[in-house]
Amino acid sequence: MQNNALMKIRDISKEYQMGEVKVKALQDVSFDIQEGEFVVILGPSGSGKSTLLNIIGGMDTPDNGKVFLRDLEITKFNDKKLTKYRREKIGFVFQFYNLMANLTAKENVELATEICKDSLDVNQVLEDVGLSDRKNHFPSQMSGGEQQRVAIARAVAKNPLLLLCDEPTGALDYKTGISILSLLNRVNKQYGKTVVVITHNAAIANMADKVVRMRSGKIIKIEHNDSPVAPERIEW
Amino acid sequence: MKKLNLRLFRLLKNSKGQFIAVTAVIIIGLLIYTSMNMAHINLKSTVNYYYDKTNFSDIFVQVSKIPKKEVDKLNKLPQINKAEGRIVYDVPLKVDKGREKVKVRVISIPENNQVNSLYMIEGQGIENKNKDVLVLEQFTKARGLNIEDNIVPQMGGKQYSLNIKGIVASPEYVYLMENEQTLLPQPDKFGVIYISEELAMDSMGFTNSYNEVVVKVNQGTDVEEVKEILENRLDKFGVKRIYTKDEQLSNRMITEEIEGLKKTSSSVPLVFLFVAAVIIAVILSRMVKNDRTSIGVLKALGYKNSDIILHYMKYSILIGLVGSIFGITLGILLSGYMTKMYIQFFNIPMLRVKFYYSYMISAIFISVLFCMTAGLWGTRKILKIVPAESMRPEPPKSGTRIFLEKIGVIWDRLSFSWKMVFRNIFRNKKRFIFISFGIALTFSVIFLPLNSMDAIVSIFYDHYGEFQTMDYNITFTKPLNERVLTDIKNIVDVEKIEPKIEYPFRITNGHREKVVNIIGLKENTSFYNFNNIKDQKINLPSSGIILSEGLANYLDVKVGDMVKIENFIPEKEDIYIEVKDIVRQSLGINGYMNIDYMRDKLTDEEMITGVYLDSDDRVKIKLDDAKQISSIQSLQDMREVFNEFLDLTIYSISITVLFGGILGFAIIYTSTSLGISERRLEFSSLRVMGFSKNDIYNLITRENIFMTILGILLGIPLGKYMIVFLEKNFSTEIYTLYIKTSLLTYVETILLTIFFIVLAQLATFKKINKLDFIEALKSRIT
Ligand SMILES: Nc1ncnc2c1ncn2[C@@H]1O[C@H](COP(=O)(O)OP(=O)(O)OP(=O)(O)O)[C@@H](O)[C@H]1O
Ligand SMILES: [Mg+2]
Repeated sequence: MQNNALMKIRDISKEYQMGEVKVKALQDVSFDIQEGEFVVILGPSGSGKSTLLNIIGGMDTPDNGKVFLRDLEITKFNDKKLTKYRREKIGFVFQFYNLMANLTAKENVELATEICKDSLDVNQVLEDVGLSDRKNHFPSQMSGGEQQRVAIARAVAKNPLLLLCDEPTGALDYKTGISILSLLNRVNKQYGKTVVVITHNAAIANMADKVVRMRSGKIIKIEHNDSPVAPERIEW
Repeated sequence: MKKLNLRLFRLLKNSKGQFIAVTAVIIIGLLIYTSMNMAHINLKSTVNYYYDKTNFSDIFVQVSKIPKKEVDKLNKLPQINKAEGRIVYDVPLKVDKGREKVKVRVISIPENNQVNSLYMIEGQGIENKNKDVLVLEQFTKARGLNIEDNIVPQMGGKQYSLNIKGIVASPEYVYLMENEQTLLPQPDKFGVIYISEELAMDSMGFTNSYNEVVVKVNQGTDVEEVKEILENRLDKFGVKRIYTKDEQLSNRMITEEIEGLKKTSSSVPLVFLFVAAVIIAVILSRMVKNDRTSIGVLKALGYKNSDIILHYMKYSILIGLVGSIFGITLGILLSGYMTKMYIQFFNIPMLRVKFYYSYMISAIFISVLFCMTAGLWGTRKILKIVPAESMRPEPPKSGTRIFLEKIGVIWDRLSFSWKMVFRNIFRNKKRFIFISFGIALTFSVIFLPLNSMDAIVSIFYDHYGEFQTMDYNITFTKPLNERVLTDIKNIVDVEKIEPKIEYPFRITNGHREKVVNIIGLKENTSFYNFNNIKDQKINLPSSGIILSEGLANYLDVKVGDMVKIENFIPEKEDIYIEVKDIVRQSLGINGYMNIDYMRDKLTDEEMITGVYLDSDDRVKIKLDDAKQISSIQSLQDMREVFNEFLDLTIYSISITVLFGGILGFAIIYTSTSLGISERRLEFSSLRVMGFSKNDIYNLITRENIFMTILGILLGIPLGKYMIVFLEKNFSTEIYTLYIKTSLLTYVETILLTIFFIVLAQLATFKKINKLDFIEALKSRIT
């Protein structure tokens, strides 16, 4: 099968042993991510979204199946190569921001860019996320939404191929959530970055190019959206 | 600055206290390490250099009388580099314008003195052979004597007025003590003077002969072998005592001091470094545990395991480096001071202080080694953190019941806060064990020096006062008939008086032998209290011999064994005598016999060499003129000397206690403050629930009280164990440690331990005061 997708995920399975019971977190999951796409992964809690995203991001390894970045098989990578992969190709945004408490906003971004070759200008990125006047503040001095912007800036400034966001709005209120999503949307359009966002809120799906629906460790449906809605117009 | 370094830097700034506390422990460890090692090596090389320069003799032979030509013959032996004959006598000397009589050792020096040559400190050598005298520096200082002063020793019963021509130092008397029985130098009561061979021969009645031979062997020759040769060759001249450099009193004292320094320098610093390493490992592993998510983020960002480990390791390396810099610098400063102090104390007129880079390097090396090991140990879990997993909230700790809850009778009676205290303790067993053990260690580190203080005091008071009870111990210049007792009673008003014989003999058991004084005492002597090794009172048996424990151990004899006693009195046979008992004696080593039995077997009828007496009379003044008295030792004098010495000791012991306290402080401070920062969330929740700051202090205080009690209970056996170690390792031939810990010492140690714990606690309370509970709750998610 020859195609020019950025990421190809093929027959991924992952099981967790919880005492007596086996939890099948992922079962034979396959799909593609095209370059420049805005992908939303939807599904109820426990359906395996985070597990999938972590495997794509090289933070975790599957029991079975393969993940390709173009024609590089990252599931074959050893620890060292995975680290390099995360460093150069991936930007993560987590639900709980996960900033370093004793570094300022700007320093948190620099923490990420300092180890990348082709990073973007930190001040510019911070301005783009609307934080140029907050860049010398510590996380404890910022609101949740602001912290999440820092986290996005941190991921974007690395200039990764792929931006992976695990429930970036999960801890935020509606309005803030929207602003974060439109920021991600802008990153997708303006910087031309491929973005994958996890959520269990179906309404977000409208702004995506592609929606992957999951349940109990399986993909139940993949939808292509020809006319994505701007995030400001989304209702949940 | 690299952002990770910046993070570390801010981390350090926020936990300065911990950093300083651990670094202080390292500093002390390295301070002791460098100062003692350098003082040790400098002292050792200075002594060796001094011995070398002055040709310190390898063998000393005391004989009755040996003709000059026999000594010349010895010089032809291939093993011998140089043998010199000399005349040595202890004689009385009037000082302080004739008001006081002290003892001086007169030593003759040959024209071309080569062995044990004197080091001229002031003045010059002997010119007028009949008038000039050289005096040992210690004595001149203690007595305020100067060049050109006159002294009038009484030699061979006659007064000789001599002119001090030079003030000298001698390798034989770097530590000036009259004999093994003396605990401390008393340079004002015992001195050494040097006169020409001619004058010595004239005054003591030794025509062309000597009573002592000092020998320097050729390089590469076995000293023991030469000693044996000499023993046989000189037997006919009545060998009284033959001993090597190793047994020579002054050399032995200084060697013991050097050895002691070595022992301390190689053991004590390790304790400190080990404790510091444990604290570092604990701090780091707690840090890693708390930073689980942050470490996951770093991994997600693409940081390598090695980057992250190094990030945390820098904390320990920094402690190691800062500790090294301060520890070594202070250590070097102290070592210079210490070496000078020792060299003054030991009266060595030269100084060989070199800077030993090797100790600097090894100090850095060990401290970095300890810190790195601690760092690796503390950060080992970083490898196991899987980034994906670290983002998941940690599963809540299984809330199992603690075992105390199962004992309903107790549990139901506890108040809510005590219940919390016990839950906390049992849920964090590791921390709890760590702190309790730390307290135990603190306890014993304080306990030890306080006990050695007790030991030093008891060495002295056990010996003078318990073991020996006489007010005065009088020694004659030569053996006298027992009739002199009546003469003495006529001069002074005595309460009690008993004769004694104190004479050197060689006691042999198998291969082991030792020359010691055997003391003959009256059947029911009231001046000695003998206790056997089980500390039970015993009486002096009417026959046989009893030995002091140190001597029995040295000779490896048990009660009932027969030992050979060799007599130095001419024409007396060697005999075998049964060891009837072994007795405790803290100071010196001796054998004891019934005086009648001793006279029967070893010496002459009716002969005595001195008396013991109790009296309120002015004994010293009244007996001062008695020509046959060589020394009068009073309990009072001994106490005064001892108290002076004690002042010095208290000083060094306080420093040791302080070091122990810092150790304890560091352990308790770091673990409590670690506990507080880990429990910020818990405390914040409590604050939100309406607990006041004081309630939280109370909570922690109760936990600490509980741990302190446990720590002290653990510390008592640990401390006792260390004392047994101390008794074994620090007893010497000269003194045997019998440590009886007094109740007061326990109380003092407990109070000091609590003092340091309270201090550490007060310091951590600042952290609770500053605890911003809203922020703590908020920062949970970052
Ligand atoms: N480390 C783990 N150990 C055991 N089970 C795990 C582990 N990680 C995930 N699981 C299980 O795998 C399944 C999928 O988990 P995953 O985190 O991928 O779900 P999710 O779709 O992200 O859920 P949510 O929307 O709640 O974040 C769940 O049943 C979860 O309990
Ligand atoms: Mg999830």
